[in-house]
Parts: sequence; structure tokens; C-alpha cells
Amino acid sequence: MQAIAAAPAVPAIVTPALVTQQNLQAQAAPARPAGPLAAGKRDAIGEPVAHFFSAAQLAALHKLCELLMPPMNGNPGAIEAGVPEFLDFLVGQAPAERQQMYKGGLDLLNSRSTAKFGKAFAALEATQADAIIRPLFVLNPWQFELPKEPGARFMAAAHDDIRVATRNSREWTQAAIAAGRRPVGAQLYFFPVDPVYKG
Amino acid sequence: MPKQEFDVLIVGSGHSGGITASVLTQKGISCLMLDAGPEVNLATNRATKNPWELPYRGMNKPGRLPHVVQANEFNANQWVDEKEVPYTHDPATPYNWCRVRLIGGRSLFWGRQSFRMSDWEFKSLDKEGVGENWPVTHAELDPFYSRVEGIFRVSGRKEGKPHFPDGNFLDADYGPDSATVKKITEIAQGRGYLVSKIRAANGRNGQASSMNLLLPDAVATGKLQIVPNAIVRELTVDKNTGLVNGANFVDRHSKQELHVKARVVVLAAGSLESVRLLMNSGLANSSGMLGRYIIDQLYGVQVVASVPEARGGNAAEGLMGGTALLPRFRNLQKGEKNNFSKGYGMMIASGGAAQPGFFQDYGESLQKKLDLHAGACMTASIYGERLPRYENHVRLNKMVKDAWGIPVLHVEVKDSANEHNMAKDAADTAEDMLKAAGWDILSKTDKFHPPGYSIHEVGGARMGDDPKKSVLNKWNQTHDVKNLFQVDGGCFVTCGWQNTTLTMMALAMRSAEYLAEQMKSGAI
Repeated sequence: MQAIAAAPAVPAIVTPALVTQQNLQAQAAPARPAGPLAAGKRDAIGEPVAHFFSAAQLAALHKLCELLMPPMNGNPGAIEAGVPEFLDFLVGQAPAERQQMYKGGLDLLNSRSTAKFGKAFAALEATQADAIIRPLFVLNPWQFELPKEPGARFMAAAHDDIRVATRNSREWTQAAIAAGRRPVGAQLYFFPVDPVYKG
Repeated sequence: MPKQEFDVLIVGSGHSGGITASVLTQKGISCLMLDAGPEVNLATNRATKNPWELPYRGMNKPGRLPHVVQANEFNANQWVDEKEVPYTHDPATPYNWCRVRLIGGRSLFWGRQSFRMSDWEFKSLDKEGVGENWPVTHAELDPFYSRVEGIFRVSGRKEGKPHFPDGNFLDADYGPDSATVKKITEIAQGRGYLVSKIRAANGRNGQASSMNLLLPDAVATGKLQIVPNAIVRELTVDKNTGLVNGANFVDRHSKQELHVKARVVVLAAGSLESVRLLMNSGLANSSGMLGRYIIDQLYGVQVVASVPEARGGNAAEGLMGGTALLPRFRNLQKGEKNNFSKGYGMMIASGGAAQPGFFQDYGESLQKKLDLHAGACMTASIYGERLPRYENHVRLNKMVKDAWGIPVLHVEVKDSANEHNMAKDAADTAEDMLKAAGWDILSKTDKFHPPGYSIHEVGGARMGDDPKKSVLNKWNQTHDVKNLFQVDGGCFVTCGWQNTTLTMMALAMRSAEYLAEQMKSGAI
């Protein structure tokens, strides 16, 4: 009771129950570390498990990530940033139209590769892969609307997603810090405010 | 238990509601302000995060806010949840309605550009034969503009041009123009265009919102009560007098219905939300004009050029940086021949970057191009004025209701050849000027965003002297119900190229002064 009374934050009227509880806490609690208790980051400890794309589609996506966003200028590439598995998760959450666009686009890469070179897109040499994907790139100055042709549409969407997902990865930030560069991408996040009461 | 009757019920707490509350409470008038959203604390409701700390790496949950192009995972929670408060439109004619339901409304997040409108907008019919005249002039609004500019601490450079009226400005420190801004300025001036600078609300302590500049003083008078999470379903009417006498509202959390009494109602919920409320109340539409003439500004046209001597990170000090603002320069002269009416302002920014979509390339080869042009780009974009048209309208869709059982709006707003011709002229003009400077065009598009994107949606309850052609009179008072006002952008007759907030606040202040006089004299 004496120790509690000496503490400045004690309310003027202290109930016996509160005294007992606070005494117990004060005696039992170990020294608390500075900062939050749950500071672990999921991306640092877990390997993502892909389950949306088929094995053939995921292999094509891996290959596409290697080509479109390789490691450059000391930054990790899309593979190092776990982008194929992240996009498997992201597209798996997307509206059906976007899911179909991705699946159709990856299937297209495989079917054209098989027709032209007799093997899946993932197994192509870089020059062979270039022959498959380069025709799908179109100038797109109006970035808010994807091209209408399905192959070009898929490539524009996938290219943007792969670049952004790589730059927004934990690995990209770590590489910047390691190289003494200022990490980019951090912004003010707006928390949900007073969500509707669910009972 | 008898409940309090308020002098004035204000629906909405953004810029126009805040101005109204500020004026009325200082004159001793008791006000109740209802807002559909909760109170936000910008100090504790925000925190800096890395994108990878968010569930979707900053890329947002796919499909969460399909109409809000500006939304990302960092700001997604500030926008109205489209599943809770939907609206409908024909898929072939999209409309991007970007809404905020928080105390302070969109004033918490606005871009702060603060341009006065001129008589080229207020007297559009007289000057250009387009649309209708407003029942006000710039000269009548001038003192109210000045007061609002003082409160919001607007900085700007005076130009002495009637189509770009000067204001009560703080001195702005734009710094010396870079060599590229000087060059494009000379080229534009050589064509007879005015070249100026951004005029912006500085606010105080990093904010220029209703929440920090208007509402605290109003609350301090003891005459304002603000109730959050109160979604107004409909206004109520005294059957004997035909006057409004209050509102039925729904608690956002419990969905309990309540009624509040007031002698006067002022709607400030945003142009379309206020119109929706009037429609759900069956009020103010003897003209048949309620919900008509929905307008906003045309954004998206863009031309990007690369400055050769700045490429590869080789820009000399003072070569790049800064902006030039070209206030509207088309169709200001009588007899000027263009294949479109009205005009557009143009912003030219120095020092930007190229986008991947500018090149048919990928991987290291693409990255080398992006690196080459990084910081070496000049980017021209526009603020275009859309025309007001009767057929561009909103109406109730009683088949669809929001999470509180309130019928939603169906939006039917389309662009015409005028908007497309204007966009093409803007892209061609920008390209021509950038080329004349000796810079290489990297990208040019005359495409633009669907209506609504600018978040400057106005009209739907336009003001006018003729009750058969307008919903509000020149004091923002409904022609049909004398104790019912709408002070947000719904009153706009034309939208101008200028950002709309400053004009909205000046009109709201003028309306509140009038209302206070009318209440004092007993006329209301």
C-alpha cells in the first residue's frame, strides 16, 4: 500500500481490489523491453505459399518476373522480392475479370512458347522469351487504362504490378539501407476511423 | 423529454458547412451540425509505414475502391466505402464519385489550390453565349473571397487580369524560376498567354481544413454542437407552413432513427449528397432542375518532354525545377475561332520523370531509359472546363439502398465533342510549346478521366433568378422553401477551370450573412 500511495498516477480513491491487482502486477512483471512487444514482421519470418495459379502458370510468372524486373543497380529483382508468390496472393484476391486476364495471359505465354519453340515459357532462353513477350508491349502513355488487346492488356498490367511489388518489398528497402540510400515508398498510413459497430 | 430546437441545422462539416457555422455562431445563432462520419484525429489516426508493412504491399485490396483512382492502400480508409454507400451508373459511362465521410469532410485532404472564378465563368452566357449566367458577379463576391482568403491564408502573385482575378494574398515565395520554366514562360507569353503561379491556401500548422480553421472558433462561441455519425435520411416539413422543421437521421453504428428540430436547414453535404437528400425528402424541385447540370473539370491530358541537357543526371544547377501556371487562355477574345467552347488552364512542371508506359521495353534496357530521363522531364497537364448540360444528371435509384436503407443515386453524366475537342487542342498546344523549346516529346495523350475524377463535382441545384430554371436563388436559398439553403457546390451554374473550393466558401459565407440578416429581421 505504501509503494502504491507513493506513485504519482494513483487515483485519489483506491479500491482494495485495484490495490491488490496493481501490487501483483508490480511484483510479477519482468522489465518490459523498449518498443512494441509484437514487432516481428511477417515478410521476415515466413515463406509465402502460392495456391492460386496452376504450376505451369506460376512457372511462367516466375520467368516473366526474371525478365521484366531483374536485379539492377544494387536493388533486388522481382524474384528476390518474392513477387511471383505475392502476385499469386494479390491476383487471388482480385475481381474475376483481373484473375482471368492474368491466367489467360500466362497461358498465352505458354501456348505461344510451345508453338514456336516446343517448350514452356519458363524453359526458354532469354532471346527466345524476348520473341514471345516483346510483341505484347505497346506504348501506353495513358496509364489509367489498359490496352484492349488481351495479350497487351495482360502485359501492361503484369509489368506494372511486377515493378511496383518489387519496389514496395521489404527486400528493396533493406537493399537501399544497406547501400546507404534513403529508402523510398514510406507514406502516412490512414488507419480505419471508428469502423461501423458490429455488436 | 422535450428536446432542444436549434436555430439552424447544418448538414455536413466540410468547407462550406464550416464557413456557415463560423458566420452564424459568431452572430449568436445556435447551430447543430450533423455529419455522416466520425471525428478523426490526424495526429493519432495516421502513422508512417513502409508499403511492405501493409497487407497488400501498398497496392490496396483489389477491387476495394473501383471508382476512386486516387485511392491506394495508404489512404484507402479516408474514402467512403463504396459497398456501404454505393451509387449506380451505366457501365458504358463511368462516373468517379470520390467521397469522404469524416468530420471536416474533404477539407481534410484537399489540394489547396485557391483560384477565384471570374466573370468569364459567372457571366458565361453574356460573354461567350454558353450556358447560363450566374445571378452573381465577381464584384459582388469580391469581399467574401477576400475574407475567405484571409482565413485560409492564401498566397499568390497578383497579375491584374480580369479573367484571373487577384485576391487578398499573402506574399508567395516561389523562388527564382529555373531556366526551363523561364524558357517555357517566354514561349507562352510570345503567344499572348498569361503565365502565372499557383495560388494556394497555406492554412495553419500544416492543415487548411474546416476542422482546424473554422469549426474550433464556432464551437468556442458555445453556439455550435457537432454530432458525428449522424446520417440524415430526409428533411421533415411542417404541413401547415410547407417550411422545413428538422430532419430524420440514422445513427451510423446502431441504425437507430432520431428526429431533430430546427428553424432553418442548411445543406452542405457535398453537391451530390445534398441533392440526394433533397430528392429523398421530395423537396425543392418545382423547376424540375434538381439533379440537372452536373459538371466537373476535365483532368488527365498530359504531354511529357525530355530536356536534352538535363538527361543522365547532368542538369546544371538552376536548369530544372518549379512550375508555370497558364490560366485559361482560349476563347477569351470575341471572335476567337475554336472547335470548342470555354477553355482550360495548363500547368507545366519542370523536373519530373518518365513512366514505363512511354517505352516499349522492359528489364535493364527499360531501366536505363528511365534513369536517363529521370529529373529531365517537363510535364504539361490541364484543368479543363466541362460544359453544363441538362441531360447530365443524377436521379434516385430506389432499387438500390445504402447500408442504412437510404436510396442511392444513379449518375448519368457523359462527355461530348466539346470536351474531346478541348482535350485535343490542349494536348496539341502543349506539344507545340514544348517542341518550340527544343525539347523531345516522350509522351502525349489527349485522353482524360471520366467525369467526377477531379473531385470538383458541382451543379445539380444550380442558382438563378428564374425559379423555373434553377433550384436556388442568388443567396443559395431554395426557391421553393424559404428556410432551406444549400451552400456546397450544388449551386454552381458553370464549373470554370479553377479549383472550386474557394468560390464555394465565398458563396457559403455570403449566404450565411444573408441568412443571419433574414433571421434577425424575422423574415425567416
